[in-house]
Amino acid sequence: MSAEDVLFDMLHSEIVSYLVPKSSEDEDLSILEHLGYSCGWRLIERITKELPRYKEELEVLKFICTDFWSCVYKKQVDNLRTNHQGVYVLHDNEFRFFSKLSNGTQYLKSAPKYATFTCGLIRGALENFGISSIVTVEIIRMPSCKFHIQVLPSSS
Amino acid sequence: MSRQNTRLDVKKVNSELFTLTYGAIVSQLMKDYENVEDVNKQLDRMGYNIGVRMVEDFLARTNAGRCYDLRETADKIQYAFKMYLGITPALTNWSAAGDEFSLTFDTNPLTEFVELPDNYQNLKYSNILCGALRGSCEMVQMDVSCWFVQDQLKGDLATELRIKFNKRLEDAIPAGED
Amino acid sequence: MTIYNIYIFDRMGTILYQTNWNRLKQSGMSSEEEAKLMYGMLFSIKSFVSKISPLDPKRGFLCYKTSKYALHYYESLTGVKFILNTDITIKNVRDLLHQLYKEIYVEYVVKNTECEMGQPIESELFKLKLDQFIKQHMKSLQ
Repeated sequence: MSAEDVLFDMLHSEIVSYLVPKSSEDEDLSILEHLGYSCGWRLIERITKELPRYKEELEVLKFICTDFWSCVYKKQVDNLRTNHQGVYVLHDNEFRFFSKLSNGTQYLKSAPKYATFTCGLIRGALENFGISSIVTVEIIRMPSCKFHIQVLPSSS
Repeated sequence: MSRQNTRLDVKKVNSELFTLTYGAIVSQLMKDYENVEDVNKQLDRMGYNIGVRMVEDFLARTNAGRCYDLRETADKIQYAFKMYLGITPALTNWSAAGDEFSLTFDTNPLTEFVELPDNYQNLKYSNILCGALRGSCEMVQMDVSCWFVQDQLKGDLATELRIKFNKRLEDAIPAGED
Repeated sequence: MTIYNIYIFDRMGTILYQTNWNRLKQSGMSSEEEAKLMYGMLFSIKSFVSKISPLDPKRGFLCYKTSKYALHYYESLTGVKFILNTDITIKNVRDLLHQLYKEIYVEYVVKNTECEMGQPIESELFKLKLDQFIKQHMKSLQ
């Protein structure tokens, strides 16, 4: 892992510890999610000028799973499934923010907060492509992680 | 799933994501605290927490040996900026006693897309760097103070971070011995 | 070659982790007491070695050896102290400990936010990686 990536990991961890303190009784992850959302939206705004325009929803999702994921998470998503009705499941077998945390279920309770920024990042990125969604995370055994994307019907 | 690599410029995307993420947390802190001084303190604290861990990565990566004077330390700090942030600040304005110097930046990746609104003139936007330096130095038994003396965000020509060496820290003495 | 046990202390003298592999004889005291005694001994021996040294000691205390075992000492620049007890045939333990610091401690303790600095290490992933690291080296150094 490059030095720059280590720096980002540490900034991410520090943001998580600030927004979701260990002592807090009921964790509020919404601010962290929103922070990820705004980063995802702006990042796509800045990098898509060089990219072809995607017409299909599936093309956008594939872009997120391949190009985007390998850039930010250093590997492609291992599996993308869809029911062709607006539900997508991204499966990363070795999620970047879990790789130093656990290879099982230790710290499982704290795990969601390390994936929440990413939920927001995905949602913000999709939003910039004109796709509104709800992104949730499912963690059973680290370092594996599944992101569930539910595309919302467009309001227009 | 296709095995092709990314069509994106990895370095650029990651550095933009870093800058955006930092910007997002600074805005969040400005919402959380009424007083700008408290935001500055919180940024310093977050930097400290990052610094105490970051220095271990730096030492592991570089196999660096112990520094015997502040000039050696300054060189290592300069190198760390290059490794982690891709910038090489100039080492300037050494004090006569050799216990103080400045890092001078032409560019600062933290502030790339930032413009400070007028009512935030007291915000030390990059204060996380001060905390990170203080934390890293403390871990190698050096007590230092760091502060910004100039900031391009506030219309200064350069961004200048001052570092002052205070004292060496010693190993903990075991309980019951002195 | 055989590695018997390890102790890891932070710069404040807090015992972060200790474990045994092939330890045949126990010290007969609680692990807290044993760790305290170990830190006290290291503190004294380090200061003795550098005070008494007829030359500039540079790296200071590195190891001691009895007829049965050797105690190896490695301290990172951040003051994290690694102590490894081995049999007396083993060489280059300092390099091994440096590698352990880099590849195991920094990767799985420092970079795991759930491990608070200066607190005993609870991470199972760290324990697993350390165990793999030591066993792999016991094999390769034979």
